[in-house]
Amino acid sequence: MAGGVTPLQGGMLPDTIAGLLPFGGLAADVVASLLGAFLIANFLLINTAFAGPWAKRKITAAFTDRIAVNRIGPFGLFVIVADAVRLLSKELIIPEGADRPAWDLGPLLIPFSALLGFAVIPMGSGLQLADPETGLAFAFAASSIASLGLIMMGYASNNKYSLLGGLRAVASNIAYEIPLIVTGISVVLFTGTLQMSAIVEAQRTALVSVAGVTIPQWFAFVNPFAFALFVVANVAEVGRNPFDIPEAPTEIVAGYQTEYSSVYFVLIYLGEFIHIFLGGAIAATLFLGGPAGPGPAALGIVWFTAKIWAFFLLTQWLRSAVPRLRVDQFIEIGWKGMLVLSFANLVLTAVIVGVITTL
Amino acid sequence: MSLEDPEPDAPARVEERSPDELAELLGDDIIDREQHLNAPGYVIRPDAVQDVLSTLRTDAGYDHLSCVTAQEYEDRYESVYHLRKFDDPTQEVSVVVPADRESPVSESAEPVFRTADWHEREAYDLVGIEYDDHPDLRRILLPETWQGHPLAKDYDQDRPQVVPLRENANPLQEDTRSEQDADTMFLNIGPHHPATHGVLHLKTTLDGEQVADVESDIGYLHRCEEQMCQNGTYRHQIMPYPDRWDYISAGMLNEWSYARAAEDLADIDVPEYAQVIRTMCAEMSRIAAHLLAVGTFALDVYGDFTAIFMYAIRDREKMQNLLEDISGQRLMFNYFRLGGVVWDLPEPREEFFEKVRDFLEEFPTALEEYHDLISSNEILQMRTVDTGVLPPEVAKNYGATGPVARGSGVDYDLRRDDPYGYYDELDWDVVTDDGCDNYSRLFVRLREMEESAKIIEQCVDLLEGWPEDDRTIQSNVPRTLKPDDDTEIYRAVEAAKGELGIYIRSDGTDTPARFRIRSPCFSNLQTLPEMAEGEYVPDLVAALGSLDIVLGEVDR
Repeated sequence: MAGGVTPLQGGMLPDTIAGLLPFGGLAADVVASLLGAFLIANFLLINTAFAGPWAKRKITAAFTDRIAVNRIGPFGLFVIVADAVRLLSKELIIPEGADRPAWDLGPLLIPFSALLGFAVIPMGSGLQLADPETGLAFAFAASSIASLGLIMMGYASNNKYSLLGGLRAVASNIAYEIPLIVTGISVVLFTGTLQMSAIVEAQRTALVSVAGVTIPQWFAFVNPFAFALFVVANVAEVGRNPFDIPEAPTEIVAGYQTEYSSVYFVLIYLGEFIHIFLGGAIAATLFLGGPAGPGPAALGIVWFTAKIWAFFLLTQWLRSAVPRLRVDQFIEIGWKGMLVLSFANLVLTAVIVGVITTL
Repeated sequence: MSLEDPEPDAPARVEERSPDELAELLGDDIIDREQHLNAPGYVIRPDAVQDVLSTLRTDAGYDHLSCVTAQEYEDRYESVYHLRKFDDPTQEVSVVVPADRESPVSESAEPVFRTADWHEREAYDLVGIEYDDHPDLRRILLPETWQGHPLAKDYDQDRPQVVPLRENANPLQEDTRSEQDADTMFLNIGPHHPATHGVLHLKTTLDGEQVADVESDIGYLHRCEEQMCQNGTYRHQIMPYPDRWDYISAGMLNEWSYARAAEDLADIDVPEYAQVIRTMCAEMSRIAAHLLAVGTFALDVYGDFTAIFMYAIRDREKMQNLLEDISGQRLMFNYFRLGGVVWDLPEPREEFFEKVRDFLEEFPTALEEYHDLISSNEILQMRTVDTGVLPPEVAKNYGATGPVARGSGVDYDLRRDDPYGYYDELDWDVVTDDGCDNYSRLFVRLREMEESAKIIEQCVDLLEGWPEDDRTIQSNVPRTLKPDDDTEIYRAVEAAKGELGIYIRSDGTDTPARFRIRSPCFSNLQTLPEMAEGEYVPDLVAALGSLDIVLGEVDR
């Protein structure tokens, strides 16, 4: 399948790095893979560092007529450093009766599952770790591992609020992951493949060309309905307003993360932000042409970053503007609304694809 | 009970019976007659409380047990039930129940008025009267382990409250399950919880996520306000305390409750000019308090520090600046004085009026924004309509007042029904809503702010045109106030949360012999189980938010 991929966009990152190494063979492959993973992970962590302590505050402040962090460094950017020091130097409080290995593993699973998902995402400018034929399935599977972490945290904390949060998290993930994946499959019907680079490639051709302006065949334009469904399910999947039921600060304190402090708290938050970015990345890959955008293909990473940040911005906007649903309403919308709509969308897409192919 | 089908002869209920007719109605249960400044008082037999109260309720229409005051005399204990009518609160009756000095026991009024439950528990807790037939006579404000009753005469303040550790071991440690149903989970919501608006502790039993049972545990913020007022002199030392009951900017309204009671007790006139200023300040406080109530309710439902909360705080800030201009304080105003207010409006007056008018001009736009963001938001409607339902008869039975009662369609507002200040000269409406749910209570508050703005505007017009030589801000009040011996009065005003009443008994000295605060939040909070049981946890939180309680006022 890699045949149709242009050199700049294709060529996995480890291959590129291996080519630059002074030695070859298996050692080069291993070192290059590790270096590549290191680079991608750091890229995301840097994004998260901006998103968490700084951008989130700034965006929320803008929505609520405030100024927010502006004291340390330009635009208050150094607050990232200050916050990192503050959070990491806090005491790690371990509740009595915590189920230890599980309690410690939960916060680790969340960021790493989200990072794992990024392994198959084509981020443009030649930044992609691997491109298996089952790429999309892998991305969904990796991001779902987080649910395991959530229920571990909820159960192992020995706290009723955590337990409620963990149960809510699992209920919401099950209810919304199915519509999410079924909607994702409707894209696969168009492309005929699960491979991420091929899905991006399929969106490169022009949909329509009006007065010199070419609108590419992004699936968001081809099937806006599926895109809307996907975004909604995605917001629920990453647990943001109006679907932030698992955390629901005013109801169950902080849900599964009630008992976590210090490093673990940082890990959980890190994981949640990477998860938002992963949600954005999958949406961008499936519906928004991945790293595609005007200008030379080398700018791919810029466009890709812009798209995942756009999704981040959307979650923050919702957080500031939309009330939270009640847990039963939330589950009801998932099973009775989203699931039905996503299957309807699948059937509709299948019909459209059938019509196109017979023409 | 006749709760479900109210008496069909509604007009008869508003009709007032003379004290003698009432005495005839009650017959042998009366052992003596008294005259309180606000109402006739009937001393009744301690074992006839339920008979008397239910007769007064069903036959004479006194359907609002406003307050229960307990006190100790040299020779006896006394519980005073302050009754009035929801339809006409100026019709009042005090039912006085004496109890024996040695073993103070009288019959509980709880089976007649649910609101008596907490009031009598408080009386038991602080004064030490025991109520027969009370379903759950425990301490309410003080810890279970407390020794003695602080407002009783023989209470030794210096005696240390020594509690052995094993007796005071964390009572919440045990996982209390309901015995009938082992599938339920006991959950402590509070005293430290984001949604309890202070130190309130809700003992909830959950069935899945649904609330099977909820019980409020209050008293964490009890500061002996009643006793402190009893130790202060009428003239100056009591006025600062009301600010500290409902401290959500509603200070001016609270001050008025004391001012009204004490002025009527000592027969002090208030100059008209001061009444207009008071009316304006009170409505400003009400807007500030309602803004916070709306903001925090949105916070409870929305979940995060969302735009609406900050918007509400922003507008409240403008109001706070105005109140600061007037009183010099932002929270503890201490602006009212017996017989008027402490000083005139700030100079230059034109500038101040300009500021108020600027606020009033922007306020409708701000309110529209709130309606866009909150009341017309579909998700919020999904969350709040038909949740936390409080039927009007239940609300009355629990003595709910203020926006909580008006959100249940009970048309009761002391500003109109028991006029004081300058309200009856102004043009405004009482807002009610028949929804009885969380949404109605929110909506009533939003609409009430409009009415308050109308009142402020009329006050500003009046004050601007007030002749300069007629601006008396205080009448002549003696430096030391000593109301007549054994005079009793119960007076209430419409505070931000509802009927805030003060009972004062004077004993001829310059400090009150008994100072009782009827806190609207205290009575309103009692309705929480009615609203929340059977609902989901998020609706419990929303119902609590819609009650708009301030723990400083609940616990006093």
